[in-house]
Amino acid sequence: MNRIEKRMEELKGEGKKAFITYITAGLPDMEGTKRILRAQFEAGIDTVELGIPFSDPVADGPVIQDASYRSIQNGTNLVKCLKMVEELREDCQIPIVFMMYYNTVLHYGIENFAKECNRVGVDGVIVPDLPFEEQEDLRTALKEAGDDTILIQLIAPISKERIPMLLKDARGFVYCVSSMGVTGQAADFHKNVREYLSSVKKVSDVPVMLGFGIRAPEDVQPYIDTIDGAIVGTNLIELLEKTGYDEKKAAEYVRDFKKGL
Amino acid sequence: MNKNTYYGEFGGQYVAETLMSTLLELEKAFEEAVKDEKFIADYEYYLKDYVGRENPLYFAERLSEKYGVKIYLKREDLNHTGAHKINNVLGQILLARRMGKTKVIAETGAGQHGVATATGAALFGMKCKVYMGAEDIERQKLNVFRMQMLGAEVIPVHSGSATLKDATNEAIRTWAKEAEDTFYVIGSAVGPHPYPKMVKEFQKVISKEAKRQILEKEGRLPDAVVACVGGGSNAIGMFAEFLDEKDVKLVGVEAAGLGIETGKHASAMALGAPGVLHGMKSYLLQDEDGNVKIAHSISAGLDYPGVGPEHAYLKDSGRVEYVSVTDKECMDALMELCQLEGIIPAIESAHAMAHVFKMAKEMTKEQIIIMCLSGRGDKDVHTVADYLDGKDVNK
Repeated sequence: MNRIEKRMEELKGEGKKAFITYITAGLPDMEGTKRILRAQFEAGIDTVELGIPFSDPVADGPVIQDASYRSIQNGTNLVKCLKMVEELREDCQIPIVFMMYYNTVLHYGIENFAKECNRVGVDGVIVPDLPFEEQEDLRTALKEAGDDTILIQLIAPISKERIPMLLKDARGFVYCVSSMGVTGQAADFHKNVREYLSSVKKVSDVPVMLGFGIRAPEDVQPYIDTIDGAIVGTNLIELLEKTGYDEKKAAEYVRDFKKGL
Repeated sequence: MNKNTYYGEFGGQYVAETLMSTLLELEKAFEEAVKDEKFIADYEYYLKDYVGRENPLYFAERLSEKYGVKIYLKREDLNHTGAHKINNVLGQILLARRMGKTKVIAETGAGQHGVATATGAALFGMKCKVYMGAEDIERQKLNVFRMQMLGAEVIPVHSGSATLKDATNEAIRTWAKEAEDTFYVIGSAVGPHPYPKMVKEFQKVISKEAKRQILEKEGRLPDAVVACVGGGSNAIGMFAEFLDEKDVKLVGVEAAGLGIETGKHASAMALGAPGVLHGMKSYLLQDEDGNVKIAHSISAGLDYPGVGPEHAYLKDSGRVEYVSVTDKECMDALMELCQLEGIIPAIESAHAMAHVFKMAKEMTKEQIIIMCLSGRGDKDVHTVADYLDGKDVNK
């Protein structure tokens, strides 16, 4: 069973909410990323999104843009990220989702990408510039490569009548964005966020995660009955920047956040 | 894959889910508008009384004499605001108004599209924000000031190469956030469907007029039609009505910067591979990891690593030939046009001119070339002065 689906199943059984973090791969370097992933896993993280840096991250705000830029300067690329996951898998079964832009996949080759994800143990892929209508090639390739890597669906506050289509074959979890725009805009949620989350929750067979602009458990408390977990990226990256990528701080952050959920 | 959004394998809608409803709404509104006689009548009214169309198809007598081929210039530089960009902006802003949007945003490279958008926004009383790379703001100060005079807010973009590509990223981010009341006026034949289609629709007036004018003047179609290509809006407008005329050779001219072999160029179709950027699949300059490479050109308007998806398709189908011209060739042609015809062209348009001179060598004096003179060169005089002084102008 896919590691994300397995973990979500366990949480459901325990009646607990999921906590997912995002970090940009290759910061401060590849070894550092591995340390941070292990520390977060030991602290009880449920899934981690690993950002594969791209030159033109249009779905990201300034903090993640800057992190991507520096990571590219460090020489991070998809090949190194796949290798890092392969090494990590020797002793760590943390559910991993690659968060990446479509050109990185296309350039690498869609089929090879799917095969490599399946081989090294990437559990999911989020491609923010690949809407449902354009997913066929990647979806088919992932399926043919073993169907172990899930293409995670994103849902937006104005998706409305598109929601049933997005949820139809969704696996793992669905990623509901809290607001229009990009990552890291503080907890300035869309005006209809409650109504929108309830409408997703009502029809979704998979767990509903809320992300974008979340900084603390309190930010999601008003909506906690309509979601199955929260995703934090920018806020954690800011903390890592401030603490010189101290993995103990990352672990502490995960424990505290999970307690508050 | 929805085939309606593609030109062969190029095009599509590679945007965040947040923007999908917006694009679907836009597509519906656009298709309805172009079928509405009132909308088209309004658009044509503004093109005539506000932009000053139709503009001349000018026979460049001295150039023709010197180069031994009949050279006709489609004078988009004589439009209000000084370039072809206004044709498309008025179409899109009329559509924005029809959709009930009160704010517009735009990206700009050379500043011509920004000025045109600021102009249209002033004309219809809309709020306007223009995203412009900090590097371009530096080399196009005159246009920045013009936009501000017209009441637009010019927002400098410092990320990446601080040029058109990055200004477009920032405009897309803002659009994703504000799409509920904001219309994104894209200036080139790029972006997710329906933008490339829409830009072609609102630029095809160039070739509609040119075709009628050449038939009046010469009683026959031209042998060749030439236009410069950055994203490709003047070119797609210039080619549109000639695409089905198989005997008319069509040539798009990209910027070769310091030379294709130096790697410092903006010719997506010379060396680019298919990729995805700014909502579309098309030819794209990229490095070995699939990151987008920074384009280089003396011309801010051509300094773009991608190209419109229909151009990518027309290249692969062989209908249009795409070539490139270096900074030096372009500047020589620019001076030639100034001194033989008394016309100061935009550096972008001078790329097409340079290639016309090359083509002329293989042609006879009875043959006819139409070139799209897409914009005037007032905005570029500082760059030209720096170039003539031997300063580094290729960023």
